[in-house]
Amino acid sequence: MEEIRIGVYVCWCGTNISKMVDVEDVAREIETLPYVVVARDYKYMCSDPGQDLIINDIKKHKLNRIVVSACSPRIHELTFRKALENAGLNPYMFEMANIREHVSWVHTSREDATKKAKALVAGAVSRVRWHNSLDKRFVEINPATLIIGGGISGISAALEIADSGKQVYLIEKTGQLGGFAAKIDLSSPFMYSAPQMINPKIDKIFKHPQITVFLNTQVEEMSGYYGNFTTKIKTEEDHEVELKFGNIILAIGLSTFDPSVIENYKYGKIPDVITSLEFEQYLISGKILRKDGSVPKNVAIIHCVGSRNSNYHDYCSRLCCKNALKYSNLIRAAIPDANIFELYSDMRAMGDGCEELYSATSRKNVMFLMFDQKNGMPDIREASSDDNCKMVIEMDEKLSGERVEIPADLVILMVAIEAQKEAKKLAQAIGISMCGNQFFIERHPKLDPVATTTDGVYIVGSCQAPKGIPHSVAQARAATARILARINVGHVEVEAATAKVNEDICCGCQTCISICPYSAISLDEEKQVSVVNEVLCKGCGTCCSACPNGAIRAQHFTDTQILSQIDGLLEKSLQLQEGLL
Amino acid sequence: MATRVDPNFMQSLEKFGVKDWKGCFHCGNCTASCPLIEEEYQFPRKVIRQAQMGLKDRLESNIDLWMCYFCGDCTKTCPREANPCELMRSIRRYQISAYDWTGLSKKFFTSQKWELSFFFGIAILILILFAIFLPPSPELWTNPTRFINEQGGVMINNMVDGISGEKFLYIIHYGDWIMAFVAGGLLITNILHMFYLTLWRDKSVQIPFYAYFTQLWKLIYHFATQPKLRKCDDKLYWLGHMVFMTGYTIMFVLIVGMLPRFQIEEVVPWYNWQRILGYYATIGIIVFLIPVVIGRFRKNKCKLKYSHFTDWHFIIMLILTTISGILIHIFRLAGMPVATYFSYVIHLAILVPMIMIEVPFSKWSHLAYRPFAIYIAALKKAVVKKKQPEQVPVFA
Repeated sequence: MEEIRIGVYVCWCGTNISKMVDVEDVAREIETLPYVVVARDYKYMCSDPGQDLIINDIKKHKLNRIVVSACSPRIHELTFRKALENAGLNPYMFEMANIREHVSWVHTSREDATKKAKALVAGAVSRVRWHNSLDKRFVEINPATLIIGGGISGISAALEIADSGKQVYLIEKTGQLGGFAAKIDLSSPFMYSAPQMINPKIDKIFKHPQITVFLNTQVEEMSGYYGNFTTKIKTEEDHEVELKFGNIILAIGLSTFDPSVIENYKYGKIPDVITSLEFEQYLISGKILRKDGSVPKNVAIIHCVGSRNSNYHDYCSRLCCKNALKYSNLIRAAIPDANIFELYSDMRAMGDGCEELYSATSRKNVMFLMFDQKNGMPDIREASSDDNCKMVIEMDEKLSGERVEIPADLVILMVAIEAQKEAKKLAQAIGISMCGNQFFIERHPKLDPVATTTDGVYIVGSCQAPKGIPHSVAQARAATARILARINVGHVEVEAATAKVNEDICCGCQTCISICPYSAISLDEEKQVSVVNEVLCKGCGTCCSACPNGAIRAQHFTDTQILSQIDGLLEKSLQLQEGLL
Repeated sequence: MATRVDPNFMQSLEKFGVKDWKGCFHCGNCTASCPLIEEEYQFPRKVIRQAQMGLKDRLESNIDLWMCYFCGDCTKTCPREANPCELMRSIRRYQISAYDWTGLSKKFFTSQKWELSFFFGIAILILILFAIFLPPSPELWTNPTRFINEQGGVMINNMVDGISGEKFLYIIHYGDWIMAFVAGGLLITNILHMFYLTLWRDKSVQIPFYAYFTQLWKLIYHFATQPKLRKCDDKLYWLGHMVFMTGYTIMFVLIVGMLPRFQIEEVVPWYNWQRILGYYATIGIIVFLIPVVIGRFRKNKCKLKYSHFTDWHFIIMLILTTISGILIHIFRLAGMPVATYFSYVIHLAILVPMIMIEVPFSKWSHLAYRPFAIYIAALKKAVVKKKQPEQVPVFA
């Protein structure tokens, strides 16, 4: 075995560390430890001259282990690993001691802080002796992509990928493409015809040589990992087909709230109380009529049906306000003398053109009445003969503080947008997370909005949260860009510090399989031992701590490494506080 | 009990001058910027809401509207250009027509034809009465010197044949009384109706009887000095209005109350009280009217920007009354009996219909409604204080 030669570098971080830790003293003391060849302090280790210092020392002193004592490894571990690589060392021959967040920023006694810094660095030095070289590993990426959901998001993503010449499998659970966008007439707020936007795209999908469409098909299970997924599906003709692909886009879209659970609104009991989705059918047919065929004189539109109400969904469905405004405009155009009422709880028409639509609508003699989600919500009842209308809605009007009644012949309920019913099953099959409202969760809400915690799986459109066509298309194309960039690279680097099974000790109890959050462990039936799929494993260590007989261990977090770190730390701290012993 | 909303009510209000109300989305900036709101009176937002929802009963009983003196701050701060200021004034016109039990007020505010017909009807009636009962003496033309007194002025009470100066004077005097009695009587009944709509109709409110007396000083104080106008607007406007108001009041007292001592045959020197008061009143009316007319043309001030036809009618009637009054004085001093007679008749033919239209039914009725609204508000406050209702947060 080669001689262990450790270099230790103590960072000042300007005055961040040096004002509370005597960094020069730390370096002096650590230099006396066994195996330490060189120990230095420097103003900014992460700067280019700081990194060069390490690289030159590695070459000059033939160092083969490096310890940097500076900030959190979350900030600069990768920086220094890169430096080691540049100097020809394996990047895992590196350990970081955090003396900024854990020491200088949180302590007030310079003397004690310096002692603690010494102990932490000594621990790191003790640990790094046991580090092993770990190799970077790559897997090939299958250039095909699976898209689940044939709505506007799925269609947009499919065309984008297919146009670049890559294979797309598009799976749709219903018998036709288009999703919700195909069920509406005009899109708000600019009143573009939705069929005119979406039908040419659907035609193109079916004619595209790189796209295979599976209608009336659902994905039941998924296996494989980033770059190499596999699924078996049953086609319309009852054929079983196995598909192989490298990336997945989930675009399963939305479903709508069932308003019959809200008793106030008598949905399903009074025939002319309809949902917004049903009203879209009226608009497509070109006739706004009551069930008895008469033209409604009073039309009431109730917002937030199932949204922003703690009894149903806390969240805002985002699209209903602007759609309700669209309805008012279309009703005003179709029935010029109709009395139109918008019963809202807050006007949240947001996005381009929506405030303008609200303004324009309010100038068309539409009465806006505000209700409270907690007290005095609208209550619909059938009118008596002297009411001069078919239904009466009673509510507490918030802006006037009055209890009012509103005549209505047709009531449109702006139903909330919900996650798809099968979303949960799909999330489990693919291994991605969901929020409490059954929407899929992105990897990072701000910085990584279309990726998920599972590599190679992307979420676009309303399955992530309610959203309209422009945002869905933007997400679809964002995911497409990510996928095409990866396909272009052709392979993907995977975590090197994975878990490893010692087959001699493994008894095949499968405890690790049941708890692995990434479904990375499977059972070798023949040998009756667990096998870690190194592509899926993230090296989280959950299995290592659960294994009853220590057969499975995480590389780079071995027992020896951790115990010697503790040893080194305790030894130094006891040595520094001898008086206590 | 729930009140039925009426989406078409605002349309019916448009005839009262409501413009651009549709933009209002109840942000409440108007209320926040108003210098005159108090905890008990919240406007304009709340009032606009009642109007938008068509809650007629609420509007008719709403006394808060009269606490607004139209400074225009709300219109300046309105982010949707809904012009809350003008909306308030228009709703006050609606309220005046609601207080008026005869229904004439509504006709006058919503139809220019109605107001003009009424004006000319009364004017012609006055002319006919003069032609039949008080025709000019033919000698006005043939022997004008007969009508000139020692000071060289026209003997104003002796221009009709066969009727003595004293008799003429008292015919006019009692005529004035009849006019004041009819106009005042109509106004008083309208004020009583206002009390009914704003105070007495709500049976749950019991006004303690003593409050009617203890709060009376507010009525007099606000009638006489308009302190709220002073708080709301620039001081100069308040001063102009004050001079105008005192001037007109003096003129009214001189003519209706003490005509026998004001309209005397003798031309007294300029420093006599009749002439001093007369000049003060005339100048007071003119110095206020001129900037108002200019402002209404230039639209440079929020309260003068939008002129309803009733505003113009009132101004024109006032100007014609004033001019004809000044002409009587000039012709009389110049010793021109014919011109004096005709300017006198024309003066009355304008003055009488103006009083009959404006005081009980139209714009000028604010002279009573404004101080009475403050009085009524004070009465309501007296009740509110006594009952100590639970504090309900009001979204203004």
